[in-house]
Amino acid sequence: MLLQQLVNGLTLGAVYTLIALSFSLVMGILGVLNLAIAELFMLGAYFGFAAILAQLPLPVALLGGMLGAALVAIVVQKIAYEPLRNAPVVTPMLSTLGFSIILQNVATNVWGSDPLQLPDEVLPGRFTLGPVSISAMQLTVIGATVVLVAILAFVVQKTPAGRALRAVAENRDVARLLGVSATRVTLLAFALSGVMAGAGGVLIGMHYAVITPYMGVDIGLKAIAVMVVGGTTRIWGALVAGPLIGVVEVMTVAYGGSQVRDFVVYGFMILILLLRPQGILGGSRADQGQRV
Amino acid sequence: MASKWKSSCATAVVAAFAGTVIACASAVAQNAAREIALGAIVPSSGPFAEWGRTNTATLQMLEKQLNAAGGGAKYRIVIMDDGARPAQATNNLRKLAGDDKVLAVAGPLTSSAAEVTFPVANEMKVVATSQASSKPGVAKLNRPWAFRNTIDEGVLGRTTVPYFKKTFNIKSVAIIYDAKDATASTVGSRIMPALMKENDIAILNENDPLSFNTGDLDVSAQVTKLKSLNPDGVVVSADYSQGVTVIREMKRQGLIKPVVGATQLISSAILKAAPEIPIVAPATFYATMKSENAEKFVKELTPVLRGTSGLPREIEPSMYDANIYEIISMYVDAVKKTGVTGKAEDLEADRAKVRDYMTKLVGFAGLGGPIGFNDDGDAIKAFYIVQGQNGAWETKVRGCSTAPGHAGC
Repeated sequence: MLLQQLVNGLTLGAVYTLIALSFSLVMGILGVLNLAIAELFMLGAYFGFAAILAQLPLPVALLGGMLGAALVAIVVQKIAYEPLRNAPVVTPMLSTLGFSIILQNVATNVWGSDPLQLPDEVLPGRFTLGPVSISAMQLTVIGATVVLVAILAFVVQKTPAGRALRAVAENRDVARLLGVSATRVTLLAFALSGVMAGAGGVLIGMHYAVITPYMGVDIGLKAIAVMVVGGTTRIWGALVAGPLIGVVEVMTVAYGGSQVRDFVVYGFMILILLLRPQGILGGSRADQGQRV
Repeated sequence: MASKWKSSCATAVVAAFAGTVIACASAVAQNAAREIALGAIVPSSGPFAEWGRTNTATLQMLEKQLNAAGGGAKYRIVIMDDGARPAQATNNLRKLAGDDKVLAVAGPLTSSAAEVTFPVANEMKVVATSQASSKPGVAKLNRPWAFRNTIDEGVLGRTTVPYFKKTFNIKSVAIIYDAKDATASTVGSRIMPALMKENDIAILNENDPLSFNTGDLDVSAQVTKLKSLNPDGVVVSADYSQGVTVIREMKRQGLIKPVVGATQLISSAILKAAPEIPIVAPATFYATMKSENAEKFVKELTPVLRGTSGLPREIEPSMYDANIYEIISMYVDAVKKTGVTGKAEDLEADRAKVRDYMTKLVGFAGLGGPIGFNDDGDAIKAFYIVQGQNGAWETKVRGCSTAPGHAGC
């Protein structure tokens, strides 16, 4: 059972990683906690479901969920962030919180509050390795996460757009003096965060084959914990913290009971904040971490 | 002399007739002007929004039917959304009773909300009847103004569990429940374990309870553990939307074992989760049940629900739509039979008349059979043990929540 639970934890952790990366992109670069990301994840799941129910293949559903969530992220940036860019950091955060509640309401009105279910599993195959059984969809979730993270790494590290993102993250004013358009970079950060959150939504929706308009809240909060544990100033911290939190959560449920699950996960987050405020992989620039 | 006497007599008759006509006209005018306000608290937003929205559509249909029928007062149903939040439900009740001056209230829906709203109903001396709460003792603690048009889950379980045991030859079960839902938590941690023991069914995780929290999408760890126990059956104590998540995960992990639960599982959505997994649960109403009243209700309400924006096209009336329809119908019956005046100055006395009517109610013609209330304020009505498999519920056992000293079903 231990190995099976490990597989469960890694699958969950993979999704946490994608959403935590989504939070990290905006947080690390703009110093703003975009609370609407949890609902971008939920919307991504609904867009993916809509595509699958329309008999479209999984890659198209994934792409549709990513693009749909990215478009909504751009709307969030234009309405909830851009006009408040020069306001105290808590103002855009509250604005994105308001947006997240609106998005949840929209989803409830469009798709209803009942769980939306897929009639069949998208990828029905299962592989058994000794005591461990892993479904094709679980492998897809983990594999797609690895690929998406690699693509994001390439974009951030090797492309001019990525360099602009990192320049703004380093020092917004200096980057602007060097000719980097802060507005475009902000838009790019929001769009990329939407892509990652949307992908997470599609993957988890396909994996569990059931979604609700309220699925974003709990997973979004866990992803924030992942981001904090991994380090808010380094987006790659989520790569380590995601699977770590996923496995810790699943093992806690399996061997300690779900009643102590949140105590352990968020207790771990508080412990990290107390002992290493910049997170496991966070850099020494603790000042950015404190801007949450 | 005789002609004078005749003339006096004729004058008296005409005067008496005129007086009667005037009195009748006045009474008709008074009745025509009389408006009775009734309140309802439903969760039109939040996790049970589907139930709240169908409840709303049901009440709007009933309001139209009542006013179209004529013959007395005009009815106005004031519907408020509590989002399934207890504090909001309490505020709603205060507003309905204090500001809207309603005669009585239908709702709130959940046991969590009823637990905090019923004491306020007692304080404000207004009848409140929940359409879904079934956690044991919630109305009992709040006599004499609190009622529930539902049956205690403990009573229902006494028929459900023996049927489950006999049908599927169950010798052992594992229990999983939603720890954040008041009813589910009570059923999963107290009622079902006790009933299993009464029926000599071993609980494989008796010392290691498995739970999850409302809203959890990932229950893979819990189901992996359930599977490792290899039970003959699984007790899933959760509302249907969470039940769907558990049963889907059971199917995904290949745990195809019969499931038993409480009334909260009854829905058409849960039948789609894993059609190959049989589900046994009690119900007081379900859309495909066979009875004249129920069939008429379903025929009238289904197109209304399907024409309501935001509700699924294939939606069917739920048990809670039936319950709230019955509650308002009881209040209307009380208005007709107890001499409720509807005048502002009589509001307190009118509310007491409704309370007394509900307390003494026997044989009200409900959708699934006659309804009364026991001393705890819970409904005495017929119930059905239904089995869901391959997409449909089927009645297996009919029971009645009889109480000593009260008429049965």
